[in-house]
Amino acid sequence: MSKMGTLYAPGDSVFHRMDGSIKMLLFAAWTITTFLFLDLRVFIVMLLIGTILLLSAKIPFRQIRILLWVMIVFNVFNTAFIILITPTYGSELTGTNTPVLNIGYNTINLETLFYVLTLTAKYLTLLPVSLLFIFTTHPSKFASSLNRIGVPYKIAYAVNIAFRYIPDIQSEFRGITNSMQMRGIGFRKGDAPFTQRVKNVTSIAIPMLYSSLQRIEVVSNAMELRGFGKHKRRTWYAMEDLRAMDYTVGALCILVTASAIWLKIGVLSGFWYPF
Amino acid sequence: MNQKSIFNFSTLVVVAIGIGAALYGFLGFFGFTVGPATWIKPAVAFLTIFGALFGPVIGFLIGFIGHVITDLMSGGGVWWGWALGSGLIGLFSGFVYLSKGFNVKAGAYAKKHLYQIVAFGFLGCLVGMGEATIFDVLFMGEPLDKMLVQFWGAFLSNIVVVAILGLPIILAILRVNKKSTNLTIEK
Repeated sequence: MSKMGTLYAPGDSVFHRMDGSIKMLLFAAWTITTFLFLDLRVFIVMLLIGTILLLSAKIPFRQIRILLWVMIVFNVFNTAFIILITPTYGSELTGTNTPVLNIGYNTINLETLFYVLTLTAKYLTLLPVSLLFIFTTHPSKFASSLNRIGVPYKIAYAVNIAFRYIPDIQSEFRGITNSMQMRGIGFRKGDAPFTQRVKNVTSIAIPMLYSSLQRIEVVSNAMELRGFGKHKRRTWYAMEDLRAMDYTVGALCILVTASAIWLKIGVLSGFWYPF
Repeated sequence: MNQKSIFNFSTLVVVAIGIGAALYGFLGFFGFTVGPATWIKPAVAFLTIFGALFGPVIGFLIGFIGHVITDLMSGGGVWWGWALGSGLIGLFSGFVYLSKGFNVKAGAYAKKHLYQIVAFGFLGCLVGMGEATIFDVLFMGEPLDKMLVQFWGAFLSNIVVVAILGLPIILAILRVNKKSTNLTIEK
């Protein structure tokens, strides 16, 4: 994790140079398009495009690997739970029933297996562009980008403050837990019985809270002294003018989303099942 | 702080949202699993606390922004439905702030406010987690039966956090603040 608490990886690809607000637009368009469908064909196309985009950003694979694993583990568990809890859910979508495996209280059918495959593809489809957004957007550009896509600047600034103070809160947390452990309050397994450990963990909350409240006072006073919030608009240090490429990608995002909605209404409305 | 308006975005409010979201976002990493892709998040207690301290709008924004930050930092994509759910828990936790005679800063409260904290907390968990469940069914196309299991897991673990962590901490703050405000001005 970098100093700002996010996963930003410096680089000089097309996406690193793209304006943050356009990347947010791309992220939103991609998410909405994925949400619309439950169709394996769409997800395979999107996964291919997403992978190509991700590769073009040249993010070191070392950094993505763990996240990829997290996603795979999540999908394995999610799939297992769906199959165990609703082994015939696929039939509700297709109206057919092709039994595959008897598991005692019910029979898993082919429709459900295909449905689970589609759902896994759906979750995976969300991944490449999320990664692209997270790894190529510098946190200091977050606030100005949010402001540019229409979020009021005070809320955008609050987001900026949140990113700015995560490392501080992290070190505060470490300090509090260390000093408590020095006084013999155990947090780890084996240090104390379970109920005592829960109580001990709870006791971190109050000092954390008070230090945060104090920080709120200090920071807001400092900002007040510098005249924050005097005007209806503000400018941003990290804001750049949009370039031709930004406009192109932005227009493309809107176009793709619109055609996705058209496709959803007109052609691929339901769950796609080829058999 | 004295004027109880919920749409008053003063500098203090901006900073409170920012730091509250940082706190909720950071503490959101800690938790333990209780069901399919569901875990107890002790950080939810901070939504109860910040809601009671600053009101519903700030509570909502802390929950939503904080959750999105947790998701962005852990990297696997943003779970918008659950982020909105966190926001709703914060929103409902803030309703007690609007209640007459309740002021955390001055340590002013009556017994009914404690019941309100619990009631709104539970209601917030119900609405928030319910929203997340419906969101996943509608937009992700998850089966409802499987999502109901997740809903109960999330709902129960959150009300446990509100009742066992949130309420005692608010009570502790109220008592501390009450002690420091019992001075009267002699005329």
